[in-house]
Amino acid sequence: MKKRLLIVDDSSIMRRTIEKNLANYDLEIIGQASNGVEALELVKQEKPDVVTLDITMPEMNGIQCLEEIMKIHPSCKVMIITALSDKLTGLIALDKGARGFLYKPVSAEDLERSFNKLLKRNGE
Amino acid sequence: MESRKEEFEATCNLFINSVNNYFKHLTEIDSNIRVPYLKEANGLLLKDYTGMIAISGSRKGFVYISANREMFGDLIHMFIGIDDPSDEDILDMAGEISNVVAGNVRANLGANFMISVPIVFEGMPKELKIPENVSIYVIPIQWNNHEAFVVLGLE
Repeated sequence: MKKRLLIVDDSSIMRRTIEKNLANYDLEIIGQASNGVEALELVKQEKPDVVTLDITMPEMNGIQCLEEIMKIHPSCKVMIITALSDKLTGLIALDKGARGFLYKPVSAEDLERSFNKLLKRNGE
Repeated sequence: MESRKEEFEATCNLFINSVNNYFKHLTEIDSNIRVPYLKEANGLLLKDYTGMIAISGSRKGFVYISANREMFGDLIHMFIGIDDPSDEDILDMAGEISNVVAGNVRANLGANFMISVPIVFEGMPKELKIPENVSIYVIPIQWNNHEAFVVLGLE
């Protein structure tokens, strides 16, 4: 059964890049959001299995959004994809329930490696 | 103890490394950095499209990346394969690259180096005001036969 994916990033180019690079995966993209508020609405309505989540976004940032997602849909696997490459931000995200963490700039290979791990493909 | 000038130059080097890494990692085409220079605040160096990030916390100021449509268009083509991006796409690309370049500097400067969401614009907006108490460092870059400016202003 296809996993249901929500892509959250304030950059439309980045959202489309993620969508393109995950096209070979057995994923159904159930929506895209450009900020944390929109993302939460989609999480409530659609209950995605997987969310890619940017941090630096208007309205509600990714860390606040992650906290809310974990309250309303704790089984959701959240992969943080952010330019904020300090260790503290990564630790905070993992502490709040993120299952994966990727630093931008993210290449197709980076995304593939992380999603293989997240979705336990290739025996990882 | 590091002097203010040395500290400023060290920060500039972090941005140079961040820009180089962006292009190399995503496009496998090296960017070439021309000789950076300090600039007076009167008049800004801008190309057609710009993505700007406000910096707060441990340092205060801004960084922007400005380039012509063709450079951002080439990046968009490489990333998502479209040949005729809209103005909105070009501005989005300018914002995203500025966000990544500024955000990556936190690997060295830590989480107290805080960055805003990108502010994007075309041309030279009349309302754009640059604070007077900042040192402005211009880093000219060339990538894939395009010229761009990375401009860093820090108190």
